[in-house]
Amino acid sequence: MASTNPTTPPHAATEPPTKYSAPPHEHKVSSFGPIIDVALRVILFATALVAVIVMVTSKQTKLIPVAPGIAIPRDAKFNHSPAFIYFVAALSVACLYSIVTGALSVLALKKPGGSSTKLQLHFVILDALLLGIVAAATGAAGGVAYIGLKGNSHVRWNKICHTYNSFCFHFATSILLSLISSITLLFLVWLSVYVLSKKIARR
Amino acid sequence: MKMQHKEEDVEVVDNGRRSSFDRMDMVVRFLALALTLVAAVLVGLDKQTATVSLTLVPSVPPIRVPATGKWTYMSAFVYLVIVNAISCFYAAVSLLLVLARRGRHKLVSLTVTILDLVMVGLLFSALGATASIGLIGFQGNSHVHWDKVCNVFDKFCHQIVIALFLSFAGSIAYLVLIVLAVLHLHKKL
Repeated sequence: MASTNPTTPPHAATEPPTKYSAPPHEHKVSSFGPIIDVALRVILFATALVAVIVMVTSKQTKLIPVAPGIAIPRDAKFNHSPAFIYFVAALSVACLYSIVTGALSVLALKKPGGSSTKLQLHFVILDALLLGIVAAATGAAGGVAYIGLKGNSHVRWNKICHTYNSFCFHFATSILLSLISSITLLFLVWLSVYVLSKKIARR
Repeated sequence: MKMQHKEEDVEVVDNGRRSSFDRMDMVVRFLALALTLVAAVLVGLDKQTATVSLTLVPSVPPIRVPATGKWTYMSAFVYLVIVNAISCFYAAVSLLLVLARRGRHKLVSLTVTILDLVMVGLLFSALGATASIGLIGFQGNSHVHWDKVCNVFDKFCHQIVIALFLSFAGSIAYLVLIVLAVLHLHKKL
């Protein structure tokens, strides 16, 4: 690794030309960083909002036969399982968070000096925390939805998705969207770490 | 000339700070390794046989059947074991990388931070899946007629809960690793 990168050995300081030829490229990176950051936050906001809306509007009512000739309407709602309540709460938090941090990022973008490193530091830590929360929500909803789709014969939990098909379709869409949100958060933290390390390289 | 002098000074300070940062990093990484290893082993060895009374026909007295609870029966538990094994393996590899790192291998530390974050995502999603399934196991879900099973497989469920907490501590350790790395980067600025 060290031999491929000319700036890593300590005695690289003796070769000023390579050092001074680097800044233009790094400057480009640091000026593109905040724009990508804002774009990713917009994606996070959109996916989290749509996931919450799709999950909340998933209610489906079906006539379930209880005895020959008698069928009662039973509805399936997201708040019948605590996992989905957590899912909605976590993604609402992600949505709100993306509005606040997106606004702060835009404000920092407008400032002539660029975003302060202190703000970026707080963003990275909070982004990583939110990644954990959103990933846990995706996992929780996915775990329960998988049982709903396939059932589990060992503990006799029957599948329900053959009855409530549109309900399950809503769930699948919502879980996919929250997966995209968590991947977006992953990219946000990667971007921040990359920009921070580039800033150090420029020094 | 003056610039070079300054840079050397920065380098020396960096090295002093790096060693303390490295020590902290290694301790937390080792903690993550141990916690995820124990969690994976605890779930992987989880098995309990209990007698379940089955009522086939209401008039006939219930039959007692031995039933086995195993972690492979539930996909969420399998996912938890796989993710814990992956993060344990990764912790071992990254520990070796940190130990072997002498100079300033920026690319290595950047890659390690990026993969740490992937582990946070994986571990938290496995935690969420296991916790939601475990909650149904504890309380059941009357809306879809999923009965609780933890009143029968009590030891099994307790072992899962312990593993869940250990795995949670492991994922917090990975989160701390990221915060440490970012703070270290920030201090260098």
